[in-house]
Amino acid sequence: MSQPVLAVDRVTKRFAGHTAVDSLSIEVPSGVIYGLLGPNGAGKTTMIRMVMNILMPDEGTIRLFGTEGTGHDFSARIGFLPEERGLYPKMRVLDVLVFLAEAKGVERRTARSRALEWLDRLGLADWRLRKVADLSKGMQQKVQFIATLLHEPELIVLDEPFSGLDPVNTQVLRDTVLDLRRRGKTIVFSTHIMEHAEQLCDQLCIIARGRKLIEGSVAEVKQRHGGRHVTVAFDGATGDPARLFADGRLVRVVNDFGQYAELEMAAGADPQEILTALLAAGARLTRFEVAAPSLHKIFVDVVGPEAAVAAAQPGAVARA
Amino acid sequence: MRKVWAVIRREFIERVRTRAMWISAILGPVFFAALIFLPMLMAGAGHKNIVLVDGTSSDFGARAAAALQTKDFTVTRIPAGPRVVDSLTLAVSEHHIDGFLLVGDTLLEAGAAEYRASNVSSFTTMERLERGLQQVAVRTRLERQGVDPAVVGRAQLNVDLTTKKISRGRTTEESAGQSFSLGYFMGIILYIAITLYGVNVMNSVLEEKTTRIVEVLMSSLRPGQLMAGKIIGVGAVSLLQFVIWGVSARLLISQRARVAARLGGTQDFSLFEVPDVSLATGIVFLVYFLGGFFLYSSMFAAVGAMSSNEQEARQAQVPVTLLLLVSFMGMFSMLNDPNSSFAVALSLVPFTSPIAMPVRWAAGSLPVSAVVLSVAILSVTIVLVTWVAARIYRVGILMTGKRPSVREVVRWVRAA
Repeated sequence: MSQPVLAVDRVTKRFAGHTAVDSLSIEVPSGVIYGLLGPNGAGKTTMIRMVMNILMPDEGTIRLFGTEGTGHDFSARIGFLPEERGLYPKMRVLDVLVFLAEAKGVERRTARSRALEWLDRLGLADWRLRKVADLSKGMQQKVQFIATLLHEPELIVLDEPFSGLDPVNTQVLRDTVLDLRRRGKTIVFSTHIMEHAEQLCDQLCIIARGRKLIEGSVAEVKQRHGGRHVTVAFDGATGDPARLFADGRLVRVVNDFGQYAELEMAAGADPQEILTALLAAGARLTRFEVAAPSLHKIFVDVVGPEAAVAAAQPGAVARA
Repeated sequence: MRKVWAVIRREFIERVRTRAMWISAILGPVFFAALIFLPMLMAGAGHKNIVLVDGTSSDFGARAAAALQTKDFTVTRIPAGPRVVDSLTLAVSEHHIDGFLLVGDTLLEAGAAEYRASNVSSFTTMERLERGLQQVAVRTRLERQGVDPAVVGRAQLNVDLTTKKISRGRTTEESAGQSFSLGYFMGIILYIAITLYGVNVMNSVLEEKTTRIVEVLMSSLRPGQLMAGKIIGVGAVSLLQFVIWGVSARLLISQRARVAARLGGTQDFSLFEVPDVSLATGIVFLVYFLGGFFLYSSMFAAVGAMSSNEQEARQAQVPVTLLLLVSFMGMFSMLNDPNSSFAVALSLVPFTSPIAMPVRWAAGSLPVSAVVLSVAILSVTIVLVTWVAARIYRVGILMTGKRPSVREVVRWVRAA
């Protein structure tokens, strides 16, 4: 395997009163979508700011493209969407895009044609001569997303790229990210919405309170941390899994989500036995699936219930 | 360098597109025209209709009335009597006449007369009345002592003092009044322009900070590139503004006779003497404007980077504006005596020289060596101040939250 695009080695960052990032190490291989997951205040944004050289780490090293150096030295090869969005409100959309691309060293005419192409692709072509301030929040976010791509970077760093977007635009952005990966780009993005991570990530890392809790591919993480799970759903109230498996012989934990329940099997238990037990209890099953646990469950398990409360508010802004 | 160029172009284009830019571009010449033509129009309306109340026992009242009867006054002489003053007061308040003079025998003996009018603040009118009465009084007194009227007439010939400024070994046509007004206007324009465009730079820094776009910019540009591009871009806008003002002023001056005739004013331009701006003066003005602008705008940029909102910036900019105000306050004293040690000091100290030196240059004749020395000191200071400002800028621009203390800022400069 080729050397990692981004290698963070035992990086620590302290602010007055608390440690935002605590001896964190991550490695992002080339050509993957890498998710940086964590509850609010976990240190995701601080980590990303250090990669972008906006903050200096107190300890540890950050290597980009296999070389010691930071955001500045590779500015032309990195695209960055900061958590706090910002565009010049009084400038025209197209002018902002051309300027931001020029600031990355793209030639003016190239910047213009690429900007027009992207605006068209994301459905903003009619807005190119309007002022940024006239655009809705979601549109501004798409414009800023375009701005991170105009210089065709190899590494794209997106801090909470989906926050504040409606489902349609989330889908558009998700497709774009997947397309970028197909074209060989490496994407690092942070989120606290597990659904997004589950859909997109090849690799992920869950951090909380500045420390790494889990790292690996989605499949690895699920295998290592999820145990084995059975998802069941009933027709009506014909059975109560919590009561049914109260003895803990077959099922260790029951997560009842209302519409369906996730059962974590006890060590040595066989899914067949669970099915038999359910049928014997007279349950009319509409779903019985031996599955890996959702990232959401893993996240809640490893980060803890306290953080889960915070993570359940997708609109909240994570401050590191 | 291409990146700096992109920043310069953005600052320039976005500013030139704003309405504020064109309002000030148009208001400048309008203001200038008002300055030239208003005094002329007012001078044209200077003719006064007055009554002379003759309370003298000789023919002095008649002589005074005749002497005052010029292009400036229409004089009607009436003898003093009871109730005359009351009816004349009424006439003044009803605007039938502009005012009336009370002249009695005391004028010849004690030199006292009285003028009553609705408007007694016009210096020119008062001076003309006084001078006219003075001349008649002196002549009458001398004649009563038996002096030949012809001798009196010759003795009263006025001295007309024409001033010509000797500038760098050449006698110019510039009068004292012209030197004064040139120095005065250059000082005011420099003060306003440096403040205005310096604050422009500050607001631009602040805008990038408050909209948080600076995080994206910092991942693309170095802080020095951004700051340099910003200052040069705003500076270019200010130069464009000056070109617009300069060209329109030139046009107005060359066409002023025609415009004045159209407006029905006098052709007398003595009230506002338009100084002859030599090329050297123009160059001195521009060099010091640019020097002052670079010096102060980098300080303003640092102030903008240190603050996180406009209120904070407004407070933090006070020391910088006060520094600039020193030279503005010293302007009158410098115009009165351009070679006083105070004026010399102000024109050498780099924080005051951008205004002080052009003012002194316009007011008196300065050796080129003095200017060279002052420019040299200014240049060195610009380099030093920009270096410090860039370091403050670099750290401050990514800071949010509470305003840094002086000690913290010093640490930024040391550490960055």
